[in-house]
Amino acid sequence: MESLLARHWAALVIFGLAVLTPLFVRDAFFLDSLVLILLWGALSAAWNVASGYAGQVSLGHSAFFGIGAYAAALLATRWQQSPWLGMLVGVAVSLAAGALIGYLSNRLRGPYFALSTIAFSQVLLILASRWRGFTAGSEGIPVPFRPGFWTLGLGHVAWVYVALGLAVLYYLAQVYLERSRIGYRLAGVREDEDAAQALGIPSRRLKVFAITLSAAMTSVVGTLWAQYVGFVDPVYVFSVDLSIRFALNTIIGGMGTALGPFLGSILITTVETYLRATFSGVKTGFAGIYLILYGCILILVVRFVPEGLAGVAARLRARAARAHA
Amino acid sequence: MLLLEGVTKRFGGLTAVRDVTLEVAPAELLGIIGPNGAGKTTLFNVIAGYYRPEEGRVLLEGRDVTGQPPYVICRLGLTRTFQIVKPFGNLSVVDNVMIGSLTRVTNMRAARVDAERVIETCGLGAYARMPAKALPIGLRKRLEVARALATRPRLLLLDEVMAGLNPSELAGMVELIRRLHADGLTLVVIEHIMAAMMRLAHRIVVLHHGELIAEGPPARIASDRRVIDAYLGEEFVLAPA
Repeated sequence: MESLLARHWAALVIFGLAVLTPLFVRDAFFLDSLVLILLWGALSAAWNVASGYAGQVSLGHSAFFGIGAYAAALLATRWQQSPWLGMLVGVAVSLAAGALIGYLSNRLRGPYFALSTIAFSQVLLILASRWRGFTAGSEGIPVPFRPGFWTLGLGHVAWVYVALGLAVLYYLAQVYLERSRIGYRLAGVREDEDAAQALGIPSRRLKVFAITLSAAMTSVVGTLWAQYVGFVDPVYVFSVDLSIRFALNTIIGGMGTALGPFLGSILITTVETYLRATFSGVKTGFAGIYLILYGCILILVVRFVPEGLAGVAARLRARAARAHA
Repeated sequence: MLLLEGVTKRFGGLTAVRDVTLEVAPAELLGIIGPNGAGKTTLFNVIAGYYRPEEGRVLLEGRDVTGQPPYVICRLGLTRTFQIVKPFGNLSVVDNVMIGSLTRVTNMRAARVDAERVIETCGLGAYARMPAKALPIGLRKRLEVARALATRPRLLLLDEVMAGLNPSELAGMVELIRRLHADGLTLVVIEHIMAAMMRLAHRIVVLHHGELIAEGPPARIASDRRVIDAYLGEEFVLAPA
């Protein structure tokens, strides 16, 4: 029990604060930022499953995000179905898409795999932009706001708890990957695929599993995001920028760690939200400055804490343990 | 136990292994020697399932495993180590070995106990919590062996596990291999260090340009004219110990 507390104290603090915040803070801007932090954290955690734990670094995960977003938006606007149903459809399509891309790019390693995933997301971008009769093309789809849990028409406080529930679930999924048989075997595949095979590990099958799981997890957040923001357009949801954002949060926070994606999201989302708010209006000329800041943060992290912010947390814990001893 | 029938492996115009027929008996300790580029490692890659041979068959305990992937062959009881060691660098030594154990033991706690036992057997107990990438080469070679052993093979292919070791590490590795063999493991060993090979192997086969040019007990191999010309350079005399 004690070791459980020691291992997960940072997550308990972060998620605990998120539970308490809506009880004391009613400021819409603040709560909105909190929802975004949690959703971006969950997205990065989903990316981390394939890229951090299994070593299949994808730069096309926006594909699955877009599938989730479109599935729910189309079902809601065309057939008046619940976004929860849309979420299931999105997951089903993403599972198939994840298995397909996982299977097709199975032999590719390293940057070649990453390139193939980019191509996949760009194919979907073209499909969604050009198939105007079905997807409304590049104009996008406004998602109607219909109050109620079943329709995901929620207030800010409720959204915080929905996003938080998902974030905690994804955190636990990652912890499971760290401690389970399949997680150990995936780590072997990530570290050295040939050696893993010599040890009796069906590496290709496991890679497909990791990508498929990661795709489904991404899709779920895509659905929620579309309902929360209320608008889906192909250029955003299938963009490479979005895929890179998942990667960036996780790399900064710590790849292959359960906490990393959330730490990265807290830092990056906060900085971005702050800068957007500060440099809006007359000073819109500075609106792009957050991109420069991203770059600087990334350089600093890679230079000084290559294992990510979660690595710093682990170092501090080790130091505290030594001080106690 | 293991039978190769006319195995040929080509890379484009280059024939790396040509028509090799070879049998390994249960509980044997077979040595493979030959100059660099003779096809020794390629032969291991064919046996362990990394390459599919163009011709010939590989039979493991009577079962045709030609072209089966490495993980299937491992589960059937044959695995290998890598000449250029492939540790799971960011994982601890015990976790490295545990990944091997998990192929036979599905329960996590039991797998950890199993891995710790294997680590002790291989003399890595003191380094269990260390990340594998922090180990010096001598210990990395041991880790290769430990990880392979954790999958409980009946036949183990060792690819130059003694290369680059200092004399005391070398003695330790020879001792480890002897002990494993005494416990009933069948071994096929690629090695350049003739002194160790002469002491260890029951039988040695010699590869040259992908072909088997000689086969026999170590003493006969050491004085074989073709082997001396192709590989040894001069007659090998084992210094009295």
